[in-house]
Amino acid sequence: MRYSPSQTRFGCRLSLVLLVSALIVSAVPAAAADPRLEAARTEGKVVWYTSLALTSSEKVAKLFETAYPGVKVEVHRTGSQRILQRMMQELQANIKNVDVVHTSDAGHYVLLKEKQLLMRYTPAGVDRFAPGFKDRDGFHYGLRATVNVIAYNSQKITASEAPRTWKDLLDPKWRGRLVTAHPGYSGVIATHVLALVHLHGWDYFKALAQNKPMLVQSAVDPGGIVASGERPVAVNGGDYTFYQLKKKGNPVEIVFPKEGVPLVVSPSAITSFAPHPNAARLFTDFIFSREIQQVLADTEGLYTGHPEVTYPADRPKLGDLKLLQVDPAELEKRTEEIKTRFVEFFGA
Amino acid sequence: MAEASAASLRPGRLEGLDRAAPVWLLAAAALVMLILLPMGWLAYISVTGPRGGFTLAHYARVLGDPPLQKALWNTVVLAFWSGLVALAIGAPMAWLSARTDLPGRRIIQSLIMASFVTPPFLGAFAWVMLAGPNAGYLNQLYRGLTGAEGPLLNIFSMPGLIFVVAIYTFPYVYIMIANTLGLIASDLEDAAAILGAGRLQVARTITLPMVLPAILSGFILAVLQALALFGSPAILALPAGFHTVTTQMWSFFQYPPRAELAAAFSIPLLLATALLLLAQKKLLGRRGYAAVGGKGGQRRIIRLGPWRLPALAGCLAILACAVFLPYGILLKTAFARAWAQPLTTANFTLENWSFTFLHSATQSAIVNTLELGVLTACVGAGLATLLAYVTTRKLVLGHQVLGFLAVSPVVIPGVVLAVALFVAYTRPPFLLYGTLWILFIAYLTKEMPVGYSQADATMRGIHPELEEAGRILGAGRLRVLREITAPLARSGIIATWCFVFIGVIRELSASIILFSPNTKVMSVVIFDLKEEGQFGAIAVLGIFMLVMTFAIVAAMQALLGRDVMGARSSSGSG
Amino acid sequence: MPGVVITGLTKRFGDVAAVAGLDLTVRPGELVALLGPSGCGKTTTLRLVAGFMAPDAGEIRVGDRVLSSPGTVIPPERRRMAMIFQSYALWPHMTVAQNVAYGLRFGGTPRAERDGKVDEILRAVQLSGYGARYPGELSGGQQQRVAVARALVVEPEILLLDEPLSNLDASLREEMRFEIRRLHERFGITTLYVTHDQAEAMVISDRAAVIRNGRVVQIGLPQELFERPRTRFVAEFIGKTNLIDAVADGAGSVARGRLRLRVAADGLTPGTPAVVSIRPHLIALGPRANTRTLPTGANTLAGTVLRASYLGDTVDYQIALEESDVVLRVAGPTPARAHAGDPVTVAVPTEACVLLPADD
Repeated sequence: MRYSPSQTRFGCRLSLVLLVSALIVSAVPAAAADPRLEAARTEGKVVWYTSLALTSSEKVAKLFETAYPGVKVEVHRTGSQRILQRMMQELQANIKNVDVVHTSDAGHYVLLKEKQLLMRYTPAGVDRFAPGFKDRDGFHYGLRATVNVIAYNSQKITASEAPRTWKDLLDPKWRGRLVTAHPGYSGVIATHVLALVHLHGWDYFKALAQNKPMLVQSAVDPGGIVASGERPVAVNGGDYTFYQLKKKGNPVEIVFPKEGVPLVVSPSAITSFAPHPNAARLFTDFIFSREIQQVLADTEGLYTGHPEVTYPADRPKLGDLKLLQVDPAELEKRTEEIKTRFVEFFGA
Repeated sequence: MAEASAASLRPGRLEGLDRAAPVWLLAAAALVMLILLPMGWLAYISVTGPRGGFTLAHYARVLGDPPLQKALWNTVVLAFWSGLVALAIGAPMAWLSARTDLPGRRIIQSLIMASFVTPPFLGAFAWVMLAGPNAGYLNQLYRGLTGAEGPLLNIFSMPGLIFVVAIYTFPYVYIMIANTLGLIASDLEDAAAILGAGRLQVARTITLPMVLPAILSGFILAVLQALALFGSPAILALPAGFHTVTTQMWSFFQYPPRAELAAAFSIPLLLATALLLLAQKKLLGRRGYAAVGGKGGQRRIIRLGPWRLPALAGCLAILACAVFLPYGILLKTAFARAWAQPLTTANFTLENWSFTFLHSATQSAIVNTLELGVLTACVGAGLATLLAYVTTRKLVLGHQVLGFLAVSPVVIPGVVLAVALFVAYTRPPFLLYGTLWILFIAYLTKEMPVGYSQADATMRGIHPELEEAGRILGAGRLRVLREITAPLARSGIIATWCFVFIGVIRELSASIILFSPNTKVMSVVIFDLKEEGQFGAIAVLGIFMLVMTFAIVAAMQALLGRDVMGARSSSGSG
Repeated sequence: MPGVVITGLTKRFGDVAAVAGLDLTVRPGELVALLGPSGCGKTTTLRLVAGFMAPDAGEIRVGDRVLSSPGTVIPPERRRMAMIFQSYALWPHMTVAQNVAYGLRFGGTPRAERDGKVDEILRAVQLSGYGARYPGELSGGQQQRVAVARALVVEPEILLLDEPLSNLDASLREEMRFEIRRLHERFGITTLYVTHDQAEAMVISDRAAVIRNGRVVQIGLPQELFERPRTRFVAEFIGKTNLIDAVADGAGSVARGRLRLRVAADGLTPGTPAVVSIRPHLIALGPRANTRTLPTGANTLAGTVLRASYLGDTVDYQIALEESDVVLRVAGPTPARAHAGDPVTVAVPTEACVLLPADD
């Protein structure tokens, strides 16, 4: 299947010119794709450690397999922190298994780059991405982005009752009614914690713990907990998961707190020791292509760095939100502290 | 004369010495690989500092750190109370089943068997959906009926965890006590009844003291199980914000891994299990079951009279908690789009099934589980049978030691074994991490005690004279094994195979530490899905796992033609 | 048909010697009973002969072949023996015919002849037509006969039996004793028969060897063992007897306190301690007043009846002797001649007083 860039935005008068240039343009990637496709087919598969929600990861994998028959995608989905742990554990035992690693903890990539475990590779077209999505040395690029939000069950809580700020969550009336995911598992949450530590300090979490929130692991989990009504309010979580649930008809409402929402850009990179390098490069180009980035935006509710991707009308634009940014280097440096203090306050 | 001496020289030598050597070599190799090497490494790194010197800092850290102390304390509380509750459930049920005219005894026994083979973590997961304080089905029912605000049950709590652990460990208590009660003759109880004691008085003053050793040892067994569990605490305790020793040890393996802390943390757990097992052995004596007085004559059934139906209701209520309710909610969740909503036509879907089985990790996990299950069961049953044969027929010097070694892994909780294997086999000369072999070794070691007990019972059931009769009539040792021993041992060996296979399918506490992305097994995939909150997929895989297990059990019972429950004498951990 | 020669056989289990230097010769075609209480080493001896264990010392020969010696043991399958076990050891997964035919496969019997031999032996043990049944369907007595058939059909050189009747009830046991003796007389195989039941040994064996603490204490014809036991143990073990500890006090008599008995032995150094064994049925009993009915020349002693128990075929008297602490057991015919409290005279023939060594 050849990729043809969408072309009908321009007037008919330029269509002929476009047709010609389109043909030229489409010829180039085709020529470039051919030798790699053969090599990828020989390699047979690409091993992907991903923290993107399982349904979304599986969808992307199936699209790739349909586009490139003969190259399978082995999806290993788990939380960001687990991904790093398993990857490092394998390396310690001299096992080179993973081709493409994608987590939501930007700090990981600082670490991995330092240890020279990443391959320098720039996917096609990524130079046009927004600045926050590019590594200046070219080792990793932001595959997707989401923001941490508050969410609540609209059947159990009215809009007026709902918390509006991060600080609102500390109100004792929420005791026993909250759920939080865990920075020891999820990169989205690790980012969230650091951002809120900057905002309100560690005392914030000490106070939050007084409300005895239910502890889950993945940033995907709070959505399910809220939708089922088990706990009516989630104190963090990737907004894309809440959005997906809402779209499916669940009684989930999202709140973008006034103080700002922690932005989580989830990088993707190829490992320096990838056993299937050609398949890895092919896959990386694929997931950063406009088509797939558009899919991520349309059905998965994610934000991307691609300039041409359009977002559903019922999603606030990234530019319109007050974003809380977190420095990856700091995230990496303070990761121990984040996990340890969280456990200290919340018990596990 | 010459012919006699020539003929007499070779076989004599062969029988005496060479027969022993390969057995000992095999046993020694297995012993080193399975236990000595890993435990040695465990002990070593627990006292080795980062730069290689001897240090007790890890122990100091592990025993002095308040959160870790809390985890230890939580574990003690959990183990003690779930043992007690398991006893409170299992003992009366055993008495009712073994000594009274309780109706529906066979059904109850089958249901207890079902509870026995259900992986506790699956039960815990099901109970989340039943008794989660807000969305749990039972709580919703309760609120609907009574209009109350708060929940009836909160499963995310220590009492909730104790409850779930108890309903899946009480079968151990049940088996131990039912077996013993079966040995006590009625005449001892009749003597009391004639003197005027009522039914309950007889139970209290005569039966109870005689069964006491079995009761205590059943309690110890349940406590041992509870100590070693990982899945249930991970599912129920972590959301409530507290750790147990097993979950804490697992968390030591997050990045960067702190194996030395896990090692130091293992030692108290190991000591606790060793002490408990010693106590149990003292209670039971050498035979492994409570020796009771009386001549073991006829056992008469006690009539319950008006208490028949209430007793049955009580038993069924417990089994509802262990079997009906959890299985029911799993089925519902497997077919529901939204697990907390009722199963209306709108909510019905088959998507969970397609999603789960098309997921590449699931497929490879199923294959891995089956491969490991079959391999471990074959090697385990073979090794156990060989060892049991050698020890029951006293074929080599020091056979008692062999028997003891075969059962010794029961002292090591699964997660400790995993830590030890991890430490030993993620470094040269045996770099097994990342392969299925490290899981195989863990499973083999863990299931050996169960396999050996069953094989031992099988071999003891075959009178050595049956083999001697064959030999004196002219058949050599191997022929006797083939034509006489093997056919008679066949059903026992099959039972051994099945027990090991089932044990492998549901194993979690060791797998969760030893697996790598390429070597996932079904229980690990379920756990991964749990961490992401994929309820539907978990239910589907859980049902699949249960179906697999029950298929094996049914096949086994059909082949053996007998009730497997009574035949089993076990002390393995799950 | 070879005989069995056992010399100096020793077998230790830990510190205990189950068999301690046992010597025994079984003549060709003879049936020797190994008789003794449990734990005396008779079964161990049998199993050593069968080749299931290696001896620590000594030798077992069959004919001119040395079958067992320390360190070299010809395995059981090559010893040309057959054994009948206490538990019968019938294979439950094979039919009666298959059980019986099993040994024929190794003896060189052509396949065509096997069925015939099986039928013939089943007829000999009166189990014709039972070939297709399974052991589980048979009674204890029938199972026992299958075990016998299985052992006999292979025409062994040596036949070993390990308490084969102890699992049967009393009447069946009696019947089977004669059955086994009949079969032995018909087939004439050299046989070793282990039992703890002396009545059984008396009926079945040509000679019986009394075994104690791993040694043969006395071997001989049943009659010899009964009438002329050589030790206290043998006297007590075979049949009932009265044992009196006494001291030799001159040629041909012993004394215990005021009691003097003339015994059937001489050359006794006065002062040597000795034990006298007197069989109850050899003692005659008569009223004190009238001793005319009693045999002459016997030792006559005065006594009082303590108890007279009616046993149906005999009367068992307990007589307290005058001027002595001895209580004699006397077996007399029915009806009872005396009752508790009666004064009586007992006559003990000199030949009935067998002298045994005092230390045993």
